[in-house]
Amino acid sequence: MASTRRSFLKSFLAGGVLGQTINLTFAKNLFAGTSGDPIIIGHQCELTGGISSWGYWLNKAAEEAVKHLNSNNGIAGRPVKLVTEDTETNPPTGARKFRALVQRHKADFVLGSVHSGVNLATVPIAKELKTIYIPNGMAAEMTGKKGNRYTFRVGSDTYSQAAAGAEWATKNLGNEWTFLFADYGWGWSHFNEHKPILEKIGAKVNPPIAVPLDAKDLLPYLAKIPKSTTQLYSIFFGSQSVALYTQSKSMGLDKDMARYSVLCTHEAISPKDIGGASDGVNLLEYHPRMLKYKDTPHNRKLRDLMGVDEADAREKGSKRILAGSHFWQVWESVFFIQKAVEKSGWKSKKDTPDFIQALEGMKVSESFEHPQGDKYIRAKDHKAVINFHMSKVENGEIHVKHQISAGRIEKFFPARYDFTKESF
Amino acid sequence: MRLLNFKKLSSLDLVGVGLLIFLLLVPYVVPVVLNDFWVNIIAELMIWSLFAASVNLLFGYTGLLSFGQALYFGMGAYGVAFGFEYFDLSFWPAFLLGVSLGTLFAAFAGIFAVRLTWHYFAIITVVFSLIFYFLAVGTKELTGGDDGLPISVPPVLKFGQFELSLFDLTFQYYFIMVIVGLAFYMKWRVLESPLGRAFVAIRENDKRASLIGLNAYKIRYLSFVLSGLLASLSGVLFCLFSRYATAQNLFWTVSGEGVVWMIVGGAGTLFGPAVGAALLIVLREELSMYWEHYLLIVGVIVIVVVTFAPHGIMGLIKDLLGSRNSKLTGSDNGELLEKQGGTGNE
Repeated sequence: MASTRRSFLKSFLAGGVLGQTINLTFAKNLFAGTSGDPIIIGHQCELTGGISSWGYWLNKAAEEAVKHLNSNNGIAGRPVKLVTEDTETNPPTGARKFRALVQRHKADFVLGSVHSGVNLATVPIAKELKTIYIPNGMAAEMTGKKGNRYTFRVGSDTYSQAAAGAEWATKNLGNEWTFLFADYGWGWSHFNEHKPILEKIGAKVNPPIAVPLDAKDLLPYLAKIPKSTTQLYSIFFGSQSVALYTQSKSMGLDKDMARYSVLCTHEAISPKDIGGASDGVNLLEYHPRMLKYKDTPHNRKLRDLMGVDEADAREKGSKRILAGSHFWQVWESVFFIQKAVEKSGWKSKKDTPDFIQALEGMKVSESFEHPQGDKYIRAKDHKAVINFHMSKVENGEIHVKHQISAGRIEKFFPARYDFTKESF
Repeated sequence: MRLLNFKKLSSLDLVGVGLLIFLLLVPYVVPVVLNDFWVNIIAELMIWSLFAASVNLLFGYTGLLSFGQALYFGMGAYGVAFGFEYFDLSFWPAFLLGVSLGTLFAAFAGIFAVRLTWHYFAIITVVFSLIFYFLAVGTKELTGGDDGLPISVPPVLKFGQFELSLFDLTFQYYFIMVIVGLAFYMKWRVLESPLGRAFVAIRENDKRASLIGLNAYKIRYLSFVLSGLLASLSGVLFCLFSRYATAQNLFWTVSGEGVVWMIVGGAGTLFGPAVGAALLIVLREELSMYWEHYLLIVGVIVIVVVTFAPHGIMGLIKDLLGSRNSKLTGSDNGELLEKQGGTGNE
């Protein structure tokens, strides 16, 4: 059929009216049961840069959580708007994006980056701008010596990870530890948090071996590991992590000592994709990668929303592996915000002190909103007390071997700071 | 007193006066028209302008392309952070510690670096920067490593109950403006002095300059240290502004950004790098909201400017305004400088 200018204009107008109608209907359904000004949640996220493979999942979790809220009466009947800014995995950029979220987009609450450097650059600004900040990085300091009353954590940190794994690993993997890690903050933080706990339970800790960040060949450093070591604790990221697993196995270290690390070193990476180099490595998980170890209706539903399979948590139609130990933190943060708003009667940012008091000490039970499990946010230091899982890589899969309940962790994990004494 | 005689002002000078008036009004106008965020961005932009000016002093005026200015920027930031966190210093002593630390590093590195020129010089500056970057990353207990060192900024001035603090965003803006303004004034005075002309003479032809009695090594060294002083001052301001010091500040990519701002804005002009920084930072802020790979567009802009406007945006502006005393007609800034009998620093 030949198209004339008149027929084109008719089609264009008809299409426009139809499109607008669909758009309005869709928008109406999207915000079913909500009214009033939206509550704005900002998300400071790694969409590009070194840990964007994690950021992808954190962003997806935030979007799904907000979508779920908006189709279920929003927060206190108000719609929720999510605004995401990319940190580029760079602390100064991340801090600037936090300001943009608060000052430009008028975010009422901000879900934080998973990069500790970005988090630490942001924590003082959160206090200055009197805005709730829920970071997802692992450095203990942001809810520790550098923390403040506006910063909360809903997941784990190096302090709780050391408290969770040290005792079980000493009893079951060996009591002479050697720490081998990339020479930067993350590795040192694990060493410094583990050492006092290990000494308390009578384990021996050898001098740490810090590997330069640009080292490609780890053999000279692996050769420094004392022969008497029964447990090698390693902290590396990306290609260095793969190099460690490959080279330690080729040296036969896996036969002489247990290899142990936190799941972060294997996050968003399938053991199958690195040719089984990590087989035999013990990993502390904060939420099982394999569905069968936490096969609840809540987890099943959430994993469906994320679009991943049951065993490898691989995204359908792509090669991405779910950042399974981290994505849930963002998901749950959104619902912690919902609960604290509804509990405190928060209406606008002037009510933030009431919100803070509502969140301090808040307990939640396992549910679709909190699929990782029961937990609470300790009032004094704003750290979450959560369950962990001790797992092992076997045949290219990460299998849970032991559950570590939140209750067992607390004896090694007392609050070291008290933010409740800090004025607003 | 040239600036006060409006009748003698060129079109470019008038643009400068208009810009100065705008900058003075920013904390009162911008929040009404846009929002507080842009006041902060303009404050940050002034800091980066100073950093780009430090790169420009070396390359635009002395002919030394440095990819290591981040070292002095980062050390300035660490100096002020250490002052607050470890020595419990008040504002001004910590401020001076930061500037001194960065400048001392420049004074040390310069001894070796200015013996070399061109790509050898660029390589040694980046090597110095990388050495201290890796040291800073590895010494977490001192520097915070890659996690960085958040700081609590004490008041700038305190008399009894009255205090001026950077937590007041309007005061912070004017504080940065005054410090950056003084630094640019200092740079302008130096460039107008015989020393500034010696920088240009060395840039144009160091052998000829030696024949008229100029010591190329000493002059390059002075330019290097002065440039380090400006970079460390911008690092101090950035640390105070962001409440944070990090090893990332020492990485060569920070130096690279300074070089790009300078080239886009116009090397060898006093305010060219500031224009380049302003354009690219505003573009960054706007584009990054819509597309996370915005740097590709920034890259294209840089290529276009370098290809079609080798004198940068300032060169284009001068051409467009037909400034009577600064029109770029020659093949390089050297011709401009000869015509002016000066240093090209309007």
